[in-house]
Amino acid sequence: MDRSPTLTGSPRKPSRRSGAARIAAALACALGLTAAVAADPKLLPPEQAFRFSARALDERTLEARFAVADGYYLYRDKFVFALEPQPPGFAAPQLPPGKLKDDQFFGKVETYRGEVVVNLPLPAAAAGQSIVVAADSQGCADAGVCYPANRQKITLVIPAAGKGPGAVVEAYPRKKSWFN
Amino acid sequence: MSSSIVRWSVLGVAAAAALAAGIYFAYDARTAKPESEPLAAAALNGLALPDVDGKEQRLDQWRGKLIVVNFWATWCAPCREEMPEFIKAQSELGPKGLQFVGIAVDQPDKVKQFAEEIGLNYPTLVGGFGAMELSKTLGNHLMALPFSVVMDRKGTIVYTQLGTLKPDKLTAITRQYL
Repeated sequence: MDRSPTLTGSPRKPSRRSGAARIAAALACALGLTAAVAADPKLLPPEQAFRFSARALDERTLEARFAVADGYYLYRDKFVFALEPQPPGFAAPQLPPGKLKDDQFFGKVETYRGEVVVNLPLPAAAAGQSIVVAADSQGCADAGVCYPANRQKITLVIPAAGKGPGAVVEAYPRKKSWFN
Repeated sequence: MSSSIVRWSVLGVAAAAALAAGIYFAYDARTAKPESEPLAAAALNGLALPDVDGKEQRLDQWRGKLIVVNFWATWCAPCREEMPEFIKAQSELGPKGLQFVGIAVDQPDKVKQFAEEIGLNYPTLVGGFGAMELSKTLGNHLMALPFSVVMDRKGTIVYTQLGTLKPDKLTAITRQYL
């Protein structure tokens, strides 16, 4: 099944939506959804299309994770990770290989779909220290739109040695649904 | 007792319906014919941005034509994909009053190089994140690209499109407004 999001244009004329669509629109507003989401229900805002989360695995390693929604992809060469404050000796992390795509415009590019996990080595950090993981990413939807490069940040606290991984922190936590 | 419950239930449903109707009409007014549309159109018409040579260009210099303002970027594959169609349409229908104007959310040197590469035959202006913000006020709530806005000869916004503006849609627009 093709689960790609789809796009439609918006003629600036009074709409002739069905009664059900009108009620859905009213309910969407009543539930606090933005007009954008209500008007374009099949396209996600970038923070939902590319969900960024991170956790401290131990006192020497942070784990950054992107959950890419179905029908969307991220460009491998657009990933940039930084830590704030930047620890001395911090080097760009090793990125997992992406899926090679022969793009008609950009030539051979690697893209990520699904889950992307990147380990960030921490050369020096003290237990209990707060550290900000900043991730730049850029991607597109198969439906034919691209999102500009976007920086997301997460603050983590370094766990004490031997204490195990810290909690997963999401850049944009999912809103609790009324229906589950 | 039960009749009281029924009465309050009916009142509750009526209140909910009234609220929904109120919200609906507010919503419908915003999406189908937003009250802010004249403001958005005025902002677009009065927009002045540098072109690829750094010379400031005002959008209202093309007033009186059917204008397709296309927000794009060199890093956006679907944007690149639709541009040859725009070049073709500009060449065929430009003499009849069709005017494409690009607004690139990009760096000037990259825009200039790409414009030369594909033989762009219509002007493209260069904007930064401010251009993205402007597109948001015009209905590009997701701030994604490509995004196109069509203004008729009077400067009224008649159509917006997030994603590629397909040739058949473009033909329908030019047939109606040229």
